[in-house]
Amino acid sequence: MAILLQLIYSGIALGMIYAVIAFGYQLTFATSGTLNFGQGDALMLGALVGLTLVTLGVNYWLMIPLVCLFGLAQGAFVERIGVRPAIKIKSEFGWIMSTIALGIIFKNVAENVWGRDDLRFPSPLPESPLHLFGANVLPMELLVVGGALLMMLAVEFFNRKSIFGKAVVATSNDRDAAALMGINTGLVITFSYALSSLTAAFAGVLIAPLTLTGATMGAVLGLKAFAVAIIGGLSSGMGIIVGGVILGIAETTTGFYLSTGYKDVPGLVLLLIVLAMKPAGLFGKTAIKKV
Amino acid sequence: MRSAVNKNTIRNAVAIVAGLIALAVFPLLSGNPYYIHLVETIMIYAILLFGLDIVVGYTGQVSLGHAGLFGVGAYTAGVLFMKLGMPFYVTAPLAIAVTAGFGAILALPALRVSGPYLAMVTLAFGTIIQILINEMDFLTSGPLGIKIPKPAFGGARMNETEYYWLVAALLVVSLVVVHRVLKSHLGRAFEALRDSPIASDCMGVSVYRYKVYAFVISAGFAGLAGCLYSYSEQYISPNTYNFELTILFLLAIIMGGRKTRSGALLGSTIIVLLPKLLDDIASFRVVATILAVAVVLGALFALARHTTTPRRVAIPVLGTAGLAAFSYRIDALTDWRLTIFGLMILLVVYYLQDGVVGFVRKFFMHGRVRTVTVSTEQPAEIVADAIVAVRDGSREDILNVRGIVMQFSGLKALNDVDLAVRRGTIHGLIGPNGSGKSTMMNVLTGIYTPTAGSIEYAGQPLAGRTSADIALSGIARTFQNVQLFGEMTALENVLVGLHHTFHSNFADVGLLSRRYRAEEHAARVRAFSMLRFVGLDGVAGEEARSLPYGKQRLLEIARALALDPQLLLLDEPAAGLTAPDIKELVTIIRKVRDHGITVMLIEHHMDVVMNVCDTVSVLDFGQKIAEGRPAEIQADEKVIEAYLGGIAA
Repeated sequence: MAILLQLIYSGIALGMIYAVIAFGYQLTFATSGTLNFGQGDALMLGALVGLTLVTLGVNYWLMIPLVCLFGLAQGAFVERIGVRPAIKIKSEFGWIMSTIALGIIFKNVAENVWGRDDLRFPSPLPESPLHLFGANVLPMELLVVGGALLMMLAVEFFNRKSIFGKAVVATSNDRDAAALMGINTGLVITFSYALSSLTAAFAGVLIAPLTLTGATMGAVLGLKAFAVAIIGGLSSGMGIIVGGVILGIAETTTGFYLSTGYKDVPGLVLLLIVLAMKPAGLFGKTAIKKV
Repeated sequence: MRSAVNKNTIRNAVAIVAGLIALAVFPLLSGNPYYIHLVETIMIYAILLFGLDIVVGYTGQVSLGHAGLFGVGAYTAGVLFMKLGMPFYVTAPLAIAVTAGFGAILALPALRVSGPYLAMVTLAFGTIIQILINEMDFLTSGPLGIKIPKPAFGGARMNETEYYWLVAALLVVSLVVVHRVLKSHLGRAFEALRDSPIASDCMGVSVYRYKVYAFVISAGFAGLAGCLYSYSEQYISPNTYNFELTILFLLAIIMGGRKTRSGALLGSTIIVLLPKLLDDIASFRVVATILAVAVVLGALFALARHTTTPRRVAIPVLGTAGLAAFSYRIDALTDWRLTIFGLMILLVVYYLQDGVVGFVRKFFMHGRVRTVTVSTEQPAEIVADAIVAVRDGSREDILNVRGIVMQFSGLKALNDVDLAVRRGTIHGLIGPNGSGKSTMMNVLTGIYTPTAGSIEYAGQPLAGRTSADIALSGIARTFQNVQLFGEMTALENVLVGLHHTFHSNFADVGLLSRRYRAEEHAARVRAFSMLRFVGLDGVAGEEARSLPYGKQRLLEIARALALDPQLLLLDEPAAGLTAPDIKELVTIIRKVRDHGITVMLIEHHMDVVMNVCDTVSVLDFGQKIAEGRPAEIQADEKVIEAYLGGIAA
C-alpha cells in the first residue's frame, strides 16, 4: 500500500509537469489555432540553460527568472521564424512542419553544445525524503507541484486582470474582431508563443533535478503533454491538471508493476481512447463549425 | 488541340518505356552491388512515398507515423520468416494487410477531429512502435534484430540483381495502382475533401470515411515498402524506424513535389543520397556552394523580373550562403545532420511549396501544377436528359419540420419553427438578414444538430444522421458562399456529385475491372449532360476557381443535381447574378421542378421568389411569421413590417 501511495505521489509530480507543458499548448492554440511541435525541446533548452547557469555559480532560485527570460526569447523566435509565415499563407502543413524542423534543429544544436550524454542537475532542496501518510515524498516533488500550480495561476491572473491579458483573451475569442478593435494580434500571437515557451522552460528547470538532463529529454515529455492536452481538452484549464495527474499516475504504476520499458505506452492508449469516445477531451466543449 | 494531346501522349509513352528499360538494365550495366543496392533502396522508399503522398498531398493531412508503419511492415515480414519460416509470397501480402490494419487503428480515432491531431497521434504511434519492437523481444528479439535472407522461389534463393528486378517490378505495379486510384472516384473524393470538407459531406462523400480510407491505403504501401526493405537489408533492428526517418520521408515528399509521382521518385532519391553526401564533407561543400549560387542567381533573376521583393529573398539567400560558409568551417557533418534536415525543411516549406518538380513545371510551362487530369474530350453519346426524374405520386409532404430550435449559447437562431414542404413544389424561404434561413438549411443537411424539435424527410426522421448520410438519402444543396472544389475542373466537380453511382472498390480500381470502367464511363457521360443542362459544357475542363461567379453558382446546382436528389435546397442562387443570368436560373429551377424534384429556395430577389415559388414561408428573428401563396405574402402586414420596419406612431 505504501508503495502504491508513493507511486501516486511521484505520479502527481510528473503529471503536474505534463500539465504545465500542456498549458503552453493551450496558450498558443487559443490565440492562433497552432501548436509548437517543438514544445518539448523548449523544455529541454530551458533545463540545459539552467544547468549551465547553476554550474557557473548562479543560485538556483536566481536562475529561474533568467531561464524564464530565455524561454520568452526562444518562444518569440519560434513564432517569428516558423509560425508567422505559415499563418500568413494559412497553411496548417506549414506550421506543423516548420515547428518540427525548428524542434529538431534545437535538439541537434543542444547535442553539439552540451553533448549527447545525460547530465545530473544538482537539487536545490535536501534529497532526503519526507514522510507523508506513510509514504516517502521528495521535497523536490512538492516544489514541482507547487511551482507548476503557481505558474498556471500567475498566467491566468495576468490574462484576467491586466489590459494586455485582456488583449490575449480577446484574440483567443475572435482574432479578426480583435484586430478590428485595434489589437495587434500578430504581437499577441508572438507573445503567446513566448509565454508558452516560458512555461516549458520553467517546467524544464523544475523537473531537471528529479530526472537527468540531456538533449533528448524533451521529445517524449512534449508528446505526452500533448496527450494530456487532448485528454483534458485543448480549451480547459481544469482538464489538463486532471489529465496530467491521471497520465502521471498511470505511468509510474505501469513502470513499477509492468516494466519501465512500457511506461510511455499508457499515454498513447489513453489518447486514442479519448479521441474515439469524446474528441473534444474530457472537459472540453465541442466547437461548432460555421458554414 | 487534338494533335497536341496525341503528341504529348506519345512523348509520355516514349519517356515511360525509356525509363523502364533504363531501370531494368541498370544492374547489368553497373554491375556494382553497392549501387544496385542504393537504387533498390530508392525504389523501396519511393513505394512508401507514393502512399504517403496520398495522405499528405491529396487529403492534406500530416502523418508523422510512416516510419513506424514502415517498421510494422518490415517486422511483420521478419517475424513471419523467423518464427514460421514463411516464404515471400505469404509475408508480403500479410505485411501489407497488418500494416493497413495498424493504419486503421490509428486513423479511426485520430481523424474524427481535424487539425493537428493526426500529426500528434501518428508521432506518438511512431514512438510507441519503436518501444514495442524493443521490448517485445519474445516476438521481435528486441535490440538484437532479425536476420532474414533474400526470398527464395522454388528452392532457388534470389541474388541481389534478381531481387532488384523484383523490387523494380513492384515499384511499377505500385505506381500504376496509385495512379489509377488517384484518377478514380476515390482520388476525386480525396481531393474534394481537402478543398471543401463541408461540400464533400453534403455531396455524400463522407470526409471522415475517405480520410480514413486514404490513410489505410497509404499504410498498406508503407507495409509493402517495409517488407521489401527487410529482404533488401537482410537485417532489421528497431533503431531504423525512428523519428529521423519520418522527418526524411516528409522532407522527400515536400521537396520532390506533392501530388506528383515523379516528385516522390525524386524525393526518395534525395533522401537516400543526402545522408551519403553528408558523410563526405568535401562533396557536401561543393553541393552547398552550388546551391548557394543557384539560389542567389534565382533570386537575382526573380528580382529582375519584378516577381519578388528583396525582403522576401533575403532569408533564403542568407540561409543558403550561411550553409555554404558553415560547411567550410567544420570538419565533420555527421553531428549536424539533423540541423541540416531541419534547415532544408524550413527552406522547402516556405520557398519551394510545390517542390522541385512543381517549381520546374512552373518555370518551363508557366502553367498550373496538375498531374492527374481527366480527359475533357466530349463523350460521343450524351444523354438528352441527365436528371433522374422523381416519380413519386404521393401527395404527402416531403419534408416536415416540427418545433425546431437551434440555439448557439445565448442566441436562438431558430425558435420553434414548423415547416411543411409539399412534394413537387417550389417552396420559398425568405426573411431579412440574420433571420435564420441559412441556419435552417444547415439543420436540414445535418451540419448543425438542432437543440430541440424533429425533422421528418420522406417519412423518415433525420435526427442523429450525418451530413453524408442525409445527402445520400436525397437532400442536395448549394451554398450561400460558393463551396466548389476549387482546384478541380468543372467536370470533376460534377463527378464528385456522382460519387454515389460508383460501387467499385479499391481492387476494382487497381485492376481496372469491367465494373469500374463501366461506372466511370457512365458517370462521365452523365456529368457532361449535367453540365449541358446548366449550360456549362463549354467549360468542362476549366478549373472551378477560375470560372466567373455566375457560372460557379450554376456549377454548384449541376453538382447538387448529380446527387439525384428528391429535395434540392438552393441557398441564394441568384446572388451576384446579372439579369440575363437570373432569367436562365429561373428556367433551370422550373425545369428541375418539372422532373418532380422538390425545390426549397432561399432568395433575396423578390421577383424571382414571387415568380417561381408555389408557397413562401417568411422567417424573422428565428421565427416563422407568415406562410402562404406569393401574392398573400406580398400583402401580409407582418412581412412588410419585418422588411421595412413598423409604421411610426
